[in-house]
Order: sequence, then structure tokens, then C-alpha cells
Amino acid sequence: MRAFAYERPDRLADALALMAVGDGSARPLAGGTDLLIRIRDGSIRPVTVIDVKGIAEFSRDIRVDDGWLRIGARTTMTDLMRDERIRRDYVALAEAAAYVGSVQIRNRATLAGNICNASPAADTAPALLVYGARVVAVGKGGRRTIPLDEFFVRSGVTTMLPGELVEAIEMPLPSGRRGAVHARRTRRRGHDLASVTLAVAIDPDGVTRLSYGSVGPRPVLVTDETGVLADPGASDDARRERLETLFVDASPSPTSMRATPGYRLAMLQVMGLRAVAAAQERAAS
Amino acid sequence: MNDVVGTGAARVGGLDRVTGRQAYVADIPLDDVLHVKLVTLPVARARIGPIDDSAACAVPGVRLVMSAKDLPDPMPRFGPQRRDRPVIATGETTYHGDPVAAVAADTKDAAEQAAELVKVEYEELPAAPTLEAALAADAPLVQDPSLRPDDPHADTNVLHEHRHAWGDVDGATADVVVEGTYRFPMVTQFAIEPHAFMAAPDGVGVAVWSAIQHPNWLQRVIAELLQLPLARVRIHAPDPGGAFGGKQHAKYEPLLAFMALATGRPVRLVLTLAETFQAVRRGAAQVHVRTGFQRDGTLVFRDVEANYQIGAYADIADRTVAKGSYTSMGPYRTPSARIVARSVLSHTVPSTAFRGFGNPQQIWAVESNMNEAARTLGIDPLELRLRNLAEPGDEFIPGDTPADGDWAVAVRRAAEMIDWSTPPTPGRGRGIAVGLKSGPTTGLSYSTVRLLVDGSVVVYAGTSDMGQGARTIFAQIAADELGAPLPWVTVVSGDTAVVPYDQQTSASRSSVFMGTAVLRACHDIQAKVRSMAARLEGVGEEQVTVERGEVHIGDRALAIHDVVKRGLGRLGGEIIGVGEMRKDAEPDHPLGGTAAFYEFNCTAVEVEVDRETGDISIPRYVTVSDVGKALNPLQVRGQDEGAAVMGLGHTLMEHYIWDDQGRIRNLGAIDYRIPTSMDLPAEMESDIVENADGPGPYGSKGMSEGALLPVSPAVAAAVTDATGVVIRDLPMSPERVWQALQELEAGEVSR
Amino acid sequence: MTMRVEVTVNGRQRSVDIEPHHTLLEMLRDDLALTGTKECCLVGECGACTVIVDGESVDSCLMLGVEASGAAITTVEGLAAGDRLDPLQEAFLETGAAQCGFCIPGQLVSARALLHGVPHPTRAEIEEGLAGNLCRCAGYEQIMEAVELAAKRGAAAREPHSSRVATDVASIPDAQVAPQ
Repeated sequence: MRAFAYERPDRLADALALMAVGDGSARPLAGGTDLLIRIRDGSIRPVTVIDVKGIAEFSRDIRVDDGWLRIGARTTMTDLMRDERIRRDYVALAEAAAYVGSVQIRNRATLAGNICNASPAADTAPALLVYGARVVAVGKGGRRTIPLDEFFVRSGVTTMLPGELVEAIEMPLPSGRRGAVHARRTRRRGHDLASVTLAVAIDPDGVTRLSYGSVGPRPVLVTDETGVLADPGASDDARRERLETLFVDASPSPTSMRATPGYRLAMLQVMGLRAVAAAQERAAS
Repeated sequence: MNDVVGTGAARVGGLDRVTGRQAYVADIPLDDVLHVKLVTLPVARARIGPIDDSAACAVPGVRLVMSAKDLPDPMPRFGPQRRDRPVIATGETTYHGDPVAAVAADTKDAAEQAAELVKVEYEELPAAPTLEAALAADAPLVQDPSLRPDDPHADTNVLHEHRHAWGDVDGATADVVVEGTYRFPMVTQFAIEPHAFMAAPDGVGVAVWSAIQHPNWLQRVIAELLQLPLARVRIHAPDPGGAFGGKQHAKYEPLLAFMALATGRPVRLVLTLAETFQAVRRGAAQVHVRTGFQRDGTLVFRDVEANYQIGAYADIADRTVAKGSYTSMGPYRTPSARIVARSVLSHTVPSTAFRGFGNPQQIWAVESNMNEAARTLGIDPLELRLRNLAEPGDEFIPGDTPADGDWAVAVRRAAEMIDWSTPPTPGRGRGIAVGLKSGPTTGLSYSTVRLLVDGSVVVYAGTSDMGQGARTIFAQIAADELGAPLPWVTVVSGDTAVVPYDQQTSASRSSVFMGTAVLRACHDIQAKVRSMAARLEGVGEEQVTVERGEVHIGDRALAIHDVVKRGLGRLGGEIIGVGEMRKDAEPDHPLGGTAAFYEFNCTAVEVEVDRETGDISIPRYVTVSDVGKALNPLQVRGQDEGAAVMGLGHTLMEHYIWDDQGRIRNLGAIDYRIPTSMDLPAEMESDIVENADGPGPYGSKGMSEGALLPVSPAVAAAVTDATGVVIRDLPMSPERVWQALQELEAGEVSR
Repeated sequence: MTMRVEVTVNGRQRSVDIEPHHTLLEMLRDDLALTGTKECCLVGECGACTVIVDGESVDSCLMLGVEASGAAITTVEGLAAGDRLDPLQEAFLETGAAQCGFCIPGQLVSARALLHGVPHPTRAEIEEGLAGNLCRCAGYEQIMEAVELAAKRGAAAREPHSSRVATDVASIPDAQVAPQ
């Protein structure tokens, strides 16, 4: 690996000052499971790596805060998988987290890091999107919230401003019983980067939110307000038709090694039907 | 009296492996070592222009940047079949990953940094990175014809064409002919230990460390390239962390040897995993099979044409084509047969030996063809095998070793284990296939055994223990023959200065060849003990027998080491035995010799296919190998089940992905998928047939490649049984299965 | 510019001056001469570099040495207590789990971490728990049998070294298999 300097600030103000160079020569380090790979392959060449795990204001916890469930910047995938509230009320996120890499990766990879890496195939993104997540970003200019469906631009690129760090990711507390599920398509059963990701959440009021990833430059959120996908009595044909309309903007990369566009689009449909059925079952139980 | 042969005795070296003490090449520290980093070009083929190493040399700690200009002219070349591979690329690079320069520096950081600063001017040249491109009439030549004097194919990329035939294929009449073309992908060994090499000046010679499967072969290569006597070249060969054929032959050891002599210091190169993908792989192949049957399923003829895509240098790849094609008729009675198999050079990573050695590619085709024939004929595929299987003693390949196993027993056992006679659970499909491989055709192994005064034993055996457990079985043999407890036996290998000659570790040969050499060395000791006992007891030698650790005189039985202790007397000493097993070459034989033995395996599987996604799951998997005698059943099971899972790799998920400029896209572990613990059959069972009908110690045969051979045709047949789709290209990824299902459905709809 | 890192490795206090861009794997192998932990894929796929850091298994190739400052680390060399093998090591020997052995340090460390969190894992939990450790020699079967054997013998009683109080570790969630 190319050499870089390493800082481990213990206060947010110091971290932001270090990040203020703003030209990408300072990179935040959380779990390291993406960053170190990219430094090794030369696609990222930081002058300074800023370890955010020492920042006192950055928490590694999951707590309720003013009507939102707040996931601290240092929270790992393993933390998400084990948290009672996440498993009960945000099960699609728990499932998504359980799919990220292996145990060793999950013990280090943070949710914040996963979304900042902005891979179109990021497993946690679709689940966060259907749960209406928002990002709390902090920079020298202050703190702001970014709705997650305004966060991803394309692979490796987000709407974060230079010098900003993710302090937390928040999801609104559920208003009632939801049925939600996360699904993914991979090349083997063992850990793998997904060729298609999909999350579905059916609200008690019959609105269905779906989010798909790896079928385009960024994860996409779509909403079905017709009630068809929430209706256990709807026919498969009706669901299929609805899904086709919802997925119309899916645009898989023609050059991907992992799957061809035709297969991805077909699988999106298959997964959609299965996920909707599973989500309905969960909503009912 | 000991009885450890045939038991799952604890692995020699097992304790070191579970405590982290096992020293692989990369773990061995050398004082003052220089770290080496290779420089390659991002193209399939290029003319090499001027190399500017000034910036690289300016990095503190850099001691040498070596390229072709620093080596003798003409460039020294090496290779087990043809001396075609240069020590480092000269004039042209011929595949993506072909090193053009090498940096040696005091630290890894400096070497890495400097390697990035070496400026190579180059001109990309048209390349032939696929089989089709390499066979095209106007294909760019991979090897200059001057490298292939007297070669009738020198103006093509066909390195060699192998032809075997018997009977009369064209004149044969068959009721039913079944044919198809099958493709086997390009895959890589992916040993968990990436290749590692070191070299150092050693007095007036050189010492080389390598995880090499053939230390003596490497010694010859280095000696010849450096123009040193063999006795001045010392090869240290620590146990490889997995090899599978990819560590059989020299790769960068010659380069390191030259660098060591140039710098006067030890040098060390550890490849990254990605670099190993650019160093070793299996030959890909396209195989066309045409088989004629009588209506009752009896084989009439088989006609095979195979093109293997080998890489830019021959390495041992042409031999894999020779061996793989020679037995492509399979373990059957085939009245008429014809095989044409070509090694086709291409601008890709040089392919080399890989478990199965050219056979998996053919067996994929031939066994799939058998299963398709079973469907066409309306005959149970198990029945079709049993009807045609060669019986013990059948000369199923004219002029070669007759069938040396009762192979039907293994087939019936596999069928029984998977309940073949009972229909599978609805929704599941079943498939069965057999695999045959001929063992070594020549061989030479020596062993020296020393029985020490206290009864402990040192065995010198040059076999490379790369996980198959060679050391353990030699220790077991010595323990039983010389009456030593197993922990009292030490096995020394991997040092050409100390260990006598072994031809190689390959072809599943070592149980037979080195095992026999060890056994004979023990017998040599027993003979000496016999003389000693006769002398001590004052009897004639004819009254003394020595076997399995005991000395018998009349009805008395004495432990060997008691006799030895007495016999050696005050001076002490030891008893040294020497053993050898040799199988000489038969120059008129197409492979250079008949088969010492055959490996045979039958594999049967049950699969379920998710028709909407193409996912294949394997609820049941059965594999049965004919091994003669399992010297260590625990190790045999480990090898057979490991081979099965490795076979599932190329069956379901493994393949190189290339761009249209001949560069590898999926270098490294993220996009080259091998099976994990979550990709296994739900139930896997292995069993063995032991008829003591092998040429090795106690009736053993070689094993550890057999169980890989028929994996893919068994799984493909099960998929066909479950869904009706016929897949002829590997790997059967979910997407490909789905694609085949789509096409099948479309075909049905349009009918 | 090197930085000083204080770590506890296998129960011993160690002090290393290390470049920030060197990984924990390099620190263990090159600076502390603990070569039991292996280097293979360098992208967090193969698990040959697995060690335990403060009670959790991690890929040491994806962690900087400087990040380990103040942590308690267990490597394969720390599993045995003197010449008393860890029950996992014994079980691996008994079932023949180690063939070439190169993946074994990582497998053992992952298994140790698994059993610490889930003392009696199901077969599925073992498969999942070891999924980040690739093996090319074995069919994985003998490795998993070894973990089952060790679990049966109460192997969880031995804690990996930790500088912090072990957090209460809930079992891996039995999430429904999400539709593919």
C-alpha cells in the first residue's frame, strides 16, 4: 500500500479541521473494509487517513432520539444484526447487514461507511431507503440532514460535500406493524457482492415501498400507492404488472462481470414477487 | 507389533499446522533479504521498448532493477517440455501478467514504490487470446517459429496434435449416434498459499526456496540455467500451502536465482493472489464427442476431437493434453476409437498441471455424452455404465495396462449410497458419472531410512507434502515395518542437499512410488537386522525372519530395536536402508510408458433447481473411489471430499473473465468465486473400494485426483434430469442455467 | 514516519514502531514475527489473515496496525496455553481437518470466536460462522466436524484474550432466509 499519514482525532472539531483540506487528500477511516481495498488497488490515494473511531461525539450505538431511531457513525453490521429493536422493527436492515461479507467483515464494517462507499450494490441501501432513512452529515459549515433518496449519485459518489462526515443515520420510528424483507441475488451461496439487491416494506396503510440496487448507477426507491402489492388477494399477474411499472427505470450496466442486464432485470421481477409475498406474510403475522 | 497403516493416524505435521508453527516459504526469515516486486504491462501482448528505471532506482533502498538486458544473450530459456520460457520477457510480452522487469529493494514498501516507477515503453500488438482467435488462419503467432525448429506446426498456434485410434471408427455401424460439443472453462488453482520464492548465494553455488512439488526437477533447471553442477544447487522445498499442480514447475525461481547472484544477497518474492492467477491455470477446452451405440446401449465407437487452449508457453500443458486425450474413451470397452487433441498456444497465462491433468475436460464431454445417450436410448445411465465398463484384466486401451480394478464395485456402491433404485423426491434430479485417469507412466523414487540405536526412525522421502498427507503414510509404513511407535518416526523431505532423488510429486504417484521406495528401504534394514540377529544368536540366517517390527527365531519373537541395540554394541551407530522404485520409459509408447495404475471414481448427485433463478442446490452427493488400500482412511476421505468440492467449483462458479483485449477482468478473490462452507452439498458422503489390487504398499493405488474427474457431468446430468435442460458449457452458473431454461421453454412454446 | 503502537498480543504486552500504512497483518508477521497468521487475498475474502481483536474476529489485512493501539489480540499462536492445546486444536487434529494447513490458523481463530459467542452452534451456524474462511484442500466437512466436536466438549469455556469486559453477546439472529 502507498504510504499515508494517520490521524485519530478525539474531538469532532479536530476531525473536521483535518477533513477541511476538502480535495479528497484526507479520507475518513471507519471499518476500513472498503477503504483499505481501494487504497491498495490505487483507486484512492489519500495523503492522510483520519480514523473516525476515536471521535467522542461519534457513537457506536442505536437509540431513539426525538421520534427517530438514530444509528451512530461507528455502528457496525454485527451491531445492527444483534440489536433487538432493529431485528423487531427494521428486520430488512438486519437481514441486509447479515449479508454484508463474512463475520470478519461485519465485525468491522460500519453502516455509515457502507453508504459513503456508495456502491450501487450496497446491501444496506435498499433497506434504509424503504424505511425512509436520512443521513446526519456534519461539516465545517454545520450539521444537516440528507434524505437518503437524495444521497446516492453513482458508484463512489454521494451528495456529501467535501470535508463532511456522517455522524449518524436515522430512520423514523414505525407508526404501526410493517412487513419488510431484504433480498439479494448472488453467484454463490457464500458471501458475494450482489448482482441485484431489493428491499420491500409494506406499511399498515397499504403503501408499499420498494428499493432496488445494482441495477443502475445507484439504489432507487419506488413507491406503490395503489395497494396492489399490499393486497394478499391480488393475482400474480396483477402484481407482476405493477412491479414491471415500478421497475421501469432499472438500468443494469451492460459491462458488469457479475450478471448480464437481461438476467438482472428478470431476477428483479422474480425477486420482487417473492419479496412481496414474504413481506405480506410478515405484515400479517 | 504395530498396525498403523490403514488407520486414520494423526497427520505428521498436524500439530505444527494447528499451532501456526508450520513454516511455509513466506514464513521463513532470511537475513539481509531483498524484497522483489514484478513489473508487468496492462496488455495481452506487446513489443517491449526501452525501459527507464532511473526513477525506480532513485527510491531509497532499491538495489536492482532487472530486465532482459541484464541477463545473458541469448536469453536463457526453460520449460519442462520445451525450453520456450524466458527467464524474463524479452522482445515481447506474450500474456497479461508476463513480467518485463523485477525490482529488488531493502523493504517491501520500496520495492512496491519502485515497481510503479519503472517506465516501460511498449507497443501493443495484435493478440490471440481465445481459442478461436488462436486457430484463425491469420492468427498472430504466439511463439516465434525459430523457437520451434523441426516442428511441422511451427507456422501455426497448434503446438502439438495428438492422435490415437484403434478399430475402425469410420467403418463402424451403430444403431444410434449421439454427439455434442462441450466447453470447459479456464480456471485457476487458487491455492490458499500464493506462490513464494527465495534465492540466495550459497558458497559458490545458489540456494533456492520454493513451494515446489518437484524439488529435484527444479534443481536441474536452476543448475542448467546458471551453469552450475547439481551439487552446488540446493533446493529447499517447504510443504506447500496447497498446490494442485500449480507448483510443479519452475516459474520465477530462475529469475530470483539470477537476481541473487547479481546482488550477492538473498532475494524474496511472494506473489499476490491476483499474480497467481497470472502465473498458473488449467487449460480450457472445447471437445466434440460423437459416440455410436447399439440399441441395447453397447458401445460401438467413440470419436473425439478436442482443442485445448493452453497459454503462451508450453510449461507441462501439452503433456496434459496428451494424457487427457489418451484415456478419453473412458473406462469402457470401446471397439473402435479415434481421438484427435490439439494443444493450442494463445496469448494467455501459461496453463500448467492442475489436478486431473487434462482429464476433467474430456470427461466432462464424454460422460455428459454418455448421459445424453442414456436419455436418447431410453436406458438407465447407471445401466449404461455397467453394460460397458471394462472388467478387471480387460485391455480396454490396446497396448496399455489392463483395467486394474473391479470398477463396477465402485459404481454399484455409489448407486447404493444414493438409493439409485428408488426414485428421488419429486422436484429433484439425479445424475451419475465415472472418471478414469491413468497414473504415472514412468517413475523413479529413492528413499533412505535410518533405524537409530534406540529404535526411532528417520525417513528421507523427497515427496512434497502439500496437504495430501504424504509424510504421514511414509511414517506409517516405517512404523509398521520397523516396529517404531508412530511418534518415533521423523520424515525429512524438501531439501535436495539431504534427501535422495525423487522424480516428482504428481499424478497421484507418491503412495505407490515413494511408498514402495520407503517400504523397500525398510526391507533393506530388515535384511541387515536379520544378519545381525543370526550373528547374535549364533544361528543360520535361514532360521531368522524379520517382518513388521519383529525378529522371529524359531518360536521366539524379539522386537527389532532390542536386536539392533545389542547388535550395534558399544560403538552404537545406526542401520541404514536404501529403497528404490523405478518404472522405466517405454519409448514406443505414445505417453512414454504404460500406466502404473488407474484412478477410478464414480460420483452420483441429486440436485434441485430453482427454475426461476437458475440456482442449483445439491441435497445429496456421493463419491466412491477405487483405491486398492487406504493407507490412511482419514486422509483419503479428506482428499476425495476436497476434490469433490474443488470440482463443484469449476462446475458451478469458477471461470476467468476476459475483456476483448485479452486482459483478465476478475483478478483476485472478489470476482473469481470458489466454493465456501456455505456452498456445499447438504449431505456429502464418500466411500472407498479396497481390493488390495494396486501396485503400491499393501495393495494401494494412487488417489486424490479421481474424485474431481466426474463432478461436472454428474451434476449436469442431474440438472437435465430435474429440468430437461442440457448444458454443455461450464460453469453452470445460476444465470447460465436460467438462460438454458428460458431457451428450453421458448423452444417448447414454439413447437 | 513511524508511530508507536502498544498492543497486547496473546496475553503479552508488545510495543511496535510501525508505519501508518502497514496493516495489522504485516505488524503481526513482520514486526512481531508471529507468522502463524497468513496472507492470501488481501481483500477480506479468504480469511487466512483472521485474528481476534477485542473479542471479535476480523480480517487483519483490512485493519491498520495503528488502529490496533490499545487492543487485545489473539492469533493462532495464542490458542494453546503452553503445551496444552485448545479443544478446537485437538478436535482439528482428531478429525483430520488440517490438510495443507494454510487456511487452518484462520479457521481456528474464526471457530474460537464463533464458539465464544455461540457455544453450541448448529451446523448452519458453523457454516455461516466459517463462511469467511476459504479452504481449497478440504471439502470443509472435516473442519466443521471438528468445530462440532469441540463444541460438544465445552470448548466455549476458554475465552479469547480481551482487554475489555466481554460484552453480552446475543446469538446470531435466526433471520428468515430472505428470498433470492
